Amino acid sequence: MCAIVDANVAREVFGPKPSPAGREFYEWVDKAPHGHLVVGGKLYKELKKGSPGFREWAKQAALAGLMTVFDEKKVDDRTDEIKRRGQYRSDDPHVLALAQVSRARLLFTNDELLGEDFGNKSLIDKPRGRVYHTRDIHVPNDNKEFSNAHRRLLNDKRLCRRER
Amino acid sequence: MKRIWLENYRCFRDRQEARLAPLTLLVGDNSTGKTSFLAMIRALWDVACRDRVPDFKEQPYDLGSFDEIAHFRGGRGGRAESFEAGFEVVPSSKPACHWHVAFSRRGTVPLPAKRRISNKEQNSWIEHDLRSSKALVHTPMGQWESDIPLPDVQGGWLLSLLLVIDIEHMKKPDIQKLVRSLGAWSNSPPLYAGAPVRSKPHRTYDPSFATRDPQGDYVPMYLASQYFEGKKRWDQLREDLQRFGKDAGLFDEITVKPLGKQSGPFQLQIRRFDGRAKGPQRNLIDVGYGVSQVLPVVMELLRQDAPPTFLLQQPEVHLHPSAQAALGSLFCRIADWRRQIIVETHSDHLLDRVRMDVRDGAGALKPEDVSILYFERQSLSVRIHSLRIDQEGNVLDAPRGYRRFFMDEVRRSLWGQGAGD
Repeated sequence: MCAIVDANVAREVFGPKPSPAGREFYEWVDKAPHGHLVVGGKLYKELKKGSPGFREWAKQAALAGLMTVFDEKKVDDRTDEIKRRGQYRSDDPHVLALAQVSRARLLFTNDELLGEDFGNKSLIDKPRGRVYHTRDIHVPNDNKEFSNAHRRLLNDKRLCRRER
Repeated sequence: MKRIWLENYRCFRDRQEARLAPLTLLVGDNSTGKTSFLAMIRALWDVACRDRVPDFKEQPYDLGSFDEIAHFRGGRGGRAESFEAGFEVVPSSKPACHWHVAFSRRGTVPLPAKRRISNKEQNSWIEHDLRSSKALVHTPMGQWESDIPLPDVQGGWLLSLLLVIDIEHMKKPDIQKLVRSLGAWSNSPPLYAGAPVRSKPHRTYDPSFATRDPQGDYVPMYLASQYFEGKKRWDQLREDLQRFGKDAGLFDEITVKPLGKQSGPFQLQIRRFDGRAKGPQRNLIDVGYGVSQVLPVVMELLRQDAPPTFLLQQPEVHLHPSAQAALGSLFCRIADWRRQIIVETHSDHLLDRVRMDVRDGAGALKPEDVSILYFERQSLSVRIHSLRIDQEGNVLDAPRGYRRFFMDEVRRSLWGQGAGD
């Protein structure tokens, strides 16, 4: 599987004025079979609730095979398991659970702690998770341009496998 | 049929294979060969399972002469000299086997030149050369050729083989299996091929024979015959029709109103309910066109003596989206390997309902019971993609071009015109 979009960046991808990096991410997902978005469980609800643009996109993307919805119970059960183990620092175990269930290894998020969890080998492995972000630790909200680092992530074929 | 392949036929240049399922949905742009695909299914069925020479001009598919049917490669490639197709039948009460038919030109008409039935493993087959009236029988233990003495009679192939295969050969299990397959599949009932536009309703009908036709002219006659001839059968059919009518929001009650005695004219009437209140009986001609357009499709699907396979073209025409979705649910409810439904559709609502019904387990259909065939134009040819859906209703194996128009519309809706540039 492919990529996950965190609710905190949905506006950058699906909003009326996407950031350059968000826009490229959208284009990448749109160019199936290269990109592909996975959703499920609590994150899917958050995205639908928080982003009208996502709702509009998701309706068509589901029919077009650009988005895969994962079983809510599976994701919730895995979330409970992650919570029990307690190896994470962020407050988004449901996103980690979705990555584990779906095998998505690319996460678009600006949540620093979630980014760290996603790179934690004991949580996300084979291959290791990678984070696509537009957060700049020195200049907040000033890293929205599409950079070579972004490009490399989108071109990394190990992160995006379509088999299920 | 669980798999079909075709080559050099209409817009299909290279060999295309497609997975068929109890419910198969054909989607794609206009003029990408969906109707031609349906026509080939019927032609194969005719030549393989009904021992009948297929007529490519028979309604509802009028494909024209050989020159319109054989693929035109363009330029020096010219027109294909022959075209081929075949299918694999699903193992059921009848034995699994493969059929392959090659068509060539006879004057201006395409006619089957060779037909072959082979076993599941495809290591034994009987091939009938219709031009030379010879049969080639092949088994792993050897092969031999015989003249077919009865080429032109109905069932002649099977009868002839029984005559030409000597007793020693008939003792071989491979041959026995093939002849059994041939016997089981020959004289199969015809498929139902529905037309994209159904007949207009009339205020009053004069009784006549209910002979099936693609436009559904016979439907009022069939309903009347059920009404007059058997209360039990009529009640069952009526109940099923009304269930669909309610789900689709089209009608709550349907009835046949005789004008005089049984052999006299009659009318078809429907009415709507609002809770306990019943609306007036209204003639079919006085309600929305959608009712009379969908009635032939629904009735054909629901009748007890339904054919084994339905080939439907845009059954959703004139229907409101909610009724289109209800039609999708009806397909999910009744499609199985004994009642295979192959639908050419442009309806998102129908497609989406199928996807959701499978996800929610609303009908008996499992994900593997649905196949979405996407017809994608590629230069002067067309490629068929077999898409699947999974337990969650996700569409799998979609190529990039699939539903590109809709995704471009979403992009425009989000960001305005020129956003894709």
